[in-house]
Amino acid sequence: MAEEFEPKIVAFLCKWCSSAGSDMAGVSRMEYPPNVIPIQVMCSGSVSPLYIFTAFNKGADGVLVSGCHPGDCHYIKGNYYARRRIYFVKKLLEFIGLEPERFQMSWVSAAEGTKYTQVIKDFVKELKPLGPQAKLRRNP
Amino acid sequence: MANFEDLKEEARKLLREGKIKYLIGYGTGGNGWQAIPVFIKTPEDVEKLVWDPTCVHNLARFLVDEKRRKARQKQPDKRPVGVVVKGCDSRAIVVLLQEKFIDRQDIYVLGVSCEKAGVIDDHKLARKLGGKKPKKIELAADRFLITTADGKVEFPVEELLAERCLECQANFPVLYDILAGEKTRKAVDKPFGSVEKIEALGQEERWRFWKEQLDKCIRCYACRSVCPMCYCDECVVDSINLAVTADTTAEEKAHKVKWIQRSAESSENFVYHLVRAIHLAGRCIDCGECERACPLDIPLRFLNKKLEKEAKELFGYEVGFDPAQPPLISSFKDDDPGDFIR
Repeated sequence: MAEEFEPKIVAFLCKWCSSAGSDMAGVSRMEYPPNVIPIQVMCSGSVSPLYIFTAFNKGADGVLVSGCHPGDCHYIKGNYYARRRIYFVKKLLEFIGLEPERFQMSWVSAAEGTKYTQVIKDFVKELKPLGPQAKLRRNP
Repeated sequence: MANFEDLKEEARKLLREGKIKYLIGYGTGGNGWQAIPVFIKTPEDVEKLVWDPTCVHNLARFLVDEKRRKARQKQPDKRPVGVVVKGCDSRAIVVLLQEKFIDRQDIYVLGVSCEKAGVIDDHKLARKLGGKKPKKIELAADRFLITTADGKVEFPVEELLAERCLECQANFPVLYDILAGEKTRKAVDKPFGSVEKIEALGQEERWRFWKEQLDKCIRCYACRSVCPMCYCDECVVDSINLAVTADTTAEEKAHKVKWIQRSAESSENFVYHLVRAIHLAGRCIDCGECERACPLDIPLRFLNKKLEKEAKELFGYEVGFDPAQPPLISSFKDDDPGDFIR
C-alpha cells in the first residue's frame, strides 16, 4: 500500500496567544496531526510576507499565520496590521495561481487549545487532497 | 490656462533668478523622435525641453537619486530641484511625500496634463509602423500624427496608447506649482480591465501564465532600478549586510540567512517578484516603468495593479492623491475584513 501523503505545515505562532494556545493543547494532551512545524514569533504583525514566501520556497505544503484575537494583541495593534498585510499576501498568492487553501490565517488565544487542534486538523484535511506543493518550491 | 510654452518661460525665470538648482525634464533623444530625460542647468538650455507622447519616463526616480547625492555632500545646495511631471509621476511624488522621503520645499513641480491621451507604447508603435522609423509624433485631437520617411500616418489614440494610460483615471498632475494643460478627468469603463482578464482565468491557467512569464526573468533588476518607490538602501535580494572580512569564518557565512537566491530560477524569480509586489502594495502608482524597462517584456504591471485593485475595493484606498493620508500597509481600521481568518 502506498504511503499516504503527509503535508508539511509551517505555522508562525505569536508568542503571547497562539504559541501559548498550542502549548495548552500540548499540556492538555489533546491529539492533533503531527504535521506542523511551529515557529514562535513575537507578534503576528512581525511576520514579514517574505517569511511566508520563503517557507513555500523551501518546501512547505501549507503556511499558517496565527495571532491573538482582534483587540487582544499584546502590542495593542500588531494583529490589525497583520490582518491587512496577510490579506494582500493571500490575494497575491491566489492571483499567481497557488491553491488558496495552502495559506491560512487564524486567531487562537492562549486558552484555545481546542481551537488550535481544530485549525490544524482542518488544515491537514484540506491539504491532503492537494498533494505536495511544487509550484513555489525550490528545485532540489 | 497655461500651456507648455508658459511652463518653459517659468522654468527660464526660475533658473535665471537661481530659485532652483536645476531642472529635470524631457528632451529629444539621439534618434530624433523619442524623448529622454534631460537635466537643465542654464536658462538658455530650457529650449531643449519637449513635451510629446513619447515622454514615457517617470522622472520622480531622479528625486530619489538627488536625495542620496545631497546626503553625501558636506555642504549641499539647499535650493529645490525642478521636475517636469505627468499625472502618474506626480502621484509618485505624493507617495514619496506621504512616506516623508522627500520634503515639499525641496522640489518645484512643473506639471503637464496628458489631456485625454497619454504616452505611447513603443511596442505597439513598432508593430503599427512595421519596420518604418518614425521622425516625429504629435497629438492632434484624438489621433496621433506620425511623420515617417515616406509621409504622414494617422492612428486613433487608443491604438497606440500604453495599456496603463488606457486605464488611467487621473491623467493630470495632482500636485504642482505650475500646470500646463487642462485638468480633465476622462471616463474609464474598466480601470482594472487587464487584471480582471487574468482573474477570470482558472487557477491552473493563471499559474501557467505566470510560470511562463516569470521563467523568462533574468534577474537584471531593471524593474527595481527604474522604480521611484524602490528606494531602500539595502534590498532584500542583495544580502550585503554581512561584512565579510579576512577573519569571517565559513560557518558565519553559511549561517547568514539567504531569503532569496540570486540564481534566475523559476522558484526564486517568483519569490523576488512576489516580494516586490507586496512591497509596492498601496504605493505603486502604475507609471508602468517596470514593464517598460523589462528587457524580457514580463507584464509586471499586473501584479501591482492587482494589489491596487484590492486596496481600492476593500479598503477604499486610492494611491497617490493625498500626501497627508497614512500609508496603506502601516495603517488599519477596526472593521477591516477578516472573514478569511479562522
